[in-house]
Amino acid sequence: MINTEMIVEEVVKEVLKRLAGEKETVAKDHKDMKPAGRELILEEIGEAKAGTTGEEVVIGISPAFGIKFKENITGIPLADILREIMAGIAEEGLNARVIRVRHTADVAFIGHTAAKLSGSGVGIGLQSRGTAVIHHKDLQPLNNLELFPQCPVLTLDTYRAIGKNAALYAKGESPTPVPVMNDQMARPKYQAKAAVMHNFETQYVKPGMKPVELKVSFSKGGAS
Amino acid sequence: MIIAGVDIGNSTTEVALARIVNNRPVFIASGMAKTTGIKGTVDNVLGIRLALENAAKKAKIDMKEIKLLRLNEATPVISDVAMEAITETVITESTMIGHNPSTPGGVGLGVGITTPIFDISSKKPGEKVIPVIPKNVDFEDAARIINDAISKGVDVQGAIVQKDDGVLISNRLIKKIPIVDEVSLIEKVPLNMPACIEVAEPGFTIKTLSNPYGIASVFNLTPEETKNIVPVARALIGNRSAVVIKTPQGDVKERKIPAGKIKLKGKNGTLVVDLEEGADKVMQALEQVWPLIDVEGTPSTNVGGLIARVKEVMGQVTYQDMREIKIQDILAVDILVPQKVMGGIANEFFTEDAVAVAAMVRSSKLPMEKIAEKVEKELNIPVEVTGIEANMAILGALTTPGSDVPVAVLDLGGGSTDAAFMNRKREVVSIHMAGAGEMVNMIIAAELGLSDRQLAEDIKRYPAAKVESLFSIRMEDGTVRFFEKPLEPETFARVCLLKEGNLVPLPPDLQLEKVREVRRKAKQKVFVSNAVRALSKVAPSGNLRLIDFVIMVGGSALDFEIPEMISEALAGYGIVAGRGEIRGCEGPRNAVATGLVLSGWEGAI
Repeated sequence: MINTEMIVEEVVKEVLKRLAGEKETVAKDHKDMKPAGRELILEEIGEAKAGTTGEEVVIGISPAFGIKFKENITGIPLADILREIMAGIAEEGLNARVIRVRHTADVAFIGHTAAKLSGSGVGIGLQSRGTAVIHHKDLQPLNNLELFPQCPVLTLDTYRAIGKNAALYAKGESPTPVPVMNDQMARPKYQAKAAVMHNFETQYVKPGMKPVELKVSFSKGGAS
Repeated sequence: MIIAGVDIGNSTTEVALARIVNNRPVFIASGMAKTTGIKGTVDNVLGIRLALENAAKKAKIDMKEIKLLRLNEATPVISDVAMEAITETVITESTMIGHNPSTPGGVGLGVGITTPIFDISSKKPGEKVIPVIPKNVDFEDAARIINDAISKGVDVQGAIVQKDDGVLISNRLIKKIPIVDEVSLIEKVPLNMPACIEVAEPGFTIKTLSNPYGIASVFNLTPEETKNIVPVARALIGNRSAVVIKTPQGDVKERKIPAGKIKLKGKNGTLVVDLEEGADKVMQALEQVWPLIDVEGTPSTNVGGLIARVKEVMGQVTYQDMREIKIQDILAVDILVPQKVMGGIANEFFTEDAVAVAAMVRSSKLPMEKIAEKVEKELNIPVEVTGIEANMAILGALTTPGSDVPVAVLDLGGGSTDAAFMNRKREVVSIHMAGAGEMVNMIIAAELGLSDRQLAEDIKRYPAAKVESLFSIRMEDGTVRFFEKPLEPETFARVCLLKEGNLVPLPPDLQLEKVREVRRKAKQKVFVSNAVRALSKVAPSGNLRLIDFVIMVGGSALDFEIPEMISEALAGYGIVAGRGEIRGCEGPRNAVATGLVLSGWEGAI
């Protein structure tokens, strides 16, 4: 049940765009204004409680997120990733709540834990290396609404779209699943690094510990 | 001795098997298979064999036991459908952004000069500006720049944003301004021009920019200019947000596409109708010249191509010169199709008018003898080609318990809607009308913007429901159904079809109400209007009220709502109409095949 013609058209457009050397028109004589060096400040404010309003999406982050790791597998700052997901949720008019899941490093269980604590029943699981999942409390842990298993191909735009889609699910709308690229070389190129990162991640797992609520702020390290 | 009646339809081939006991047929089984090839061609033989095998298996007999095969003189009608848009909207000079981003920011109306965001801090206090924010500007920075400008006294009236950042920027501003976002081709927005932005509250639509006088008062237009702005206002009706930018040459035009003229030649004269005038005009003209002798389209126009194609296909099937093929009936229906606007800068879609046409052709005769010959050779069963399809359908339909002559039968098929009327003397009049199930599919696909014909067929056949949670769905009539196990995640929050106990998710942009409305309207426009049209042509002295009973048969009579729609419409004429129940057990299927068997044994009915 896929509208093939439209998908083909979209793919062709995307490919053409790339062939054109990403010559996207940037407003004249102004360089990219993205401020670099935004720092992620995560403050633990007690045990994470189940949400009571349907106007929220809970983002569950992995045990070492922001502690051991500051960047994902391809070097995108975790601060920016989390900020984009939260922006995607806020753009749809919902609140984002962030918790740290400490008893597991598995993205599916992190996502499911977040979803169970979310007032809307929709949660996002996010690992330090960048792997993400949109989950729902009524699904089996290893099932999901949308899964983004190839962390190396995810961009900040993708994370924004993940936040937006999670918010749309929470509102009961039917979003188009976030389009993701597939890179055949991602696996051989990043498998070792992913394994090492996951190894560190699991060192921070504290079995039996309840998820903790986080207060998120972004310091603007001398932003423009 | 076992005999078989075989009915080759446009989409299915049906078989009725009967054993002759005491010179009376006793039905033992029926079978069905997809028609292979175009109806009335030798390609059909494979479908006949499959349908026979299917029936023989059900009856637990060997194919060899079938001693006679009765084939109907298939009515040589073939129909084809096509659709042509007759209007299109063209925006020149990008004067307008009329799209509906899902989440614009702020609320209200703002008027100012379009200015790149980087330049607004250099504006003088009191100047009215509308910053244009490309996607390389982060929402926090954009908000900060605007806030700085506002505190310096620059009158920031609104903002046009490329990324989906409207709400994010709005939340960070010290003053509420309307913000339109997701303007994908922002580089086309003309700069340093007066512009107006309007964003309505959630659930409401804009009021000023959808009103020509509203635009006139915003930009101080002259009466002459106001006249020119009407298409802009019209195009913005129903939007939650919009931007209008006044440029010296800008314009929005609604253009009629020369779809061509259609020439209806009838026994009562000839009329020429321009397809632009819409479907109703065509149908009125058709009634005036009825009965139809032939239809022609202006060569090298859309409608000309459509009619030529129908004739060509029919010519190939019947081995006749296409110049000798005459169109016997057409059904034109007005539809609305979503089309991308030419020249738009935010990928806007507008709904344009289009006309869908079904045309039906009747040739002298289909090569039924050829089919019969081939079947005899391949299956080793003697074949008789007998009986007019309409008479057979009535004979079959009369096996419905509670029916009697005089009666009218409506055969709702895939390609054509047929009607036949049998009076007390058992004399039969019949008619074939263009437009049936396939036309409904085409209309559904066009109006919902689907390219997948199978999906359109499913939308036609199955009711829709919205998955509200993983344990419950809301049906299109508003009732809720619960499930014990969680539903599949890909159906979550989607509009789905209830297909044979499964939930089939539809593309995410389709709304439940829209799907239902389009589906029901398409059925109304095709089947209900054709039922009335066909029955009034076979009714005694053309008066529908003189028909008492109507039995609906054919594949589309199995539909979950078409028979009810027709019954309702016909009730207004005092007609009892219902779905047939062939032989008390077959439902509306198998009428012709049953009639074929019965007609072979006189006194059987």
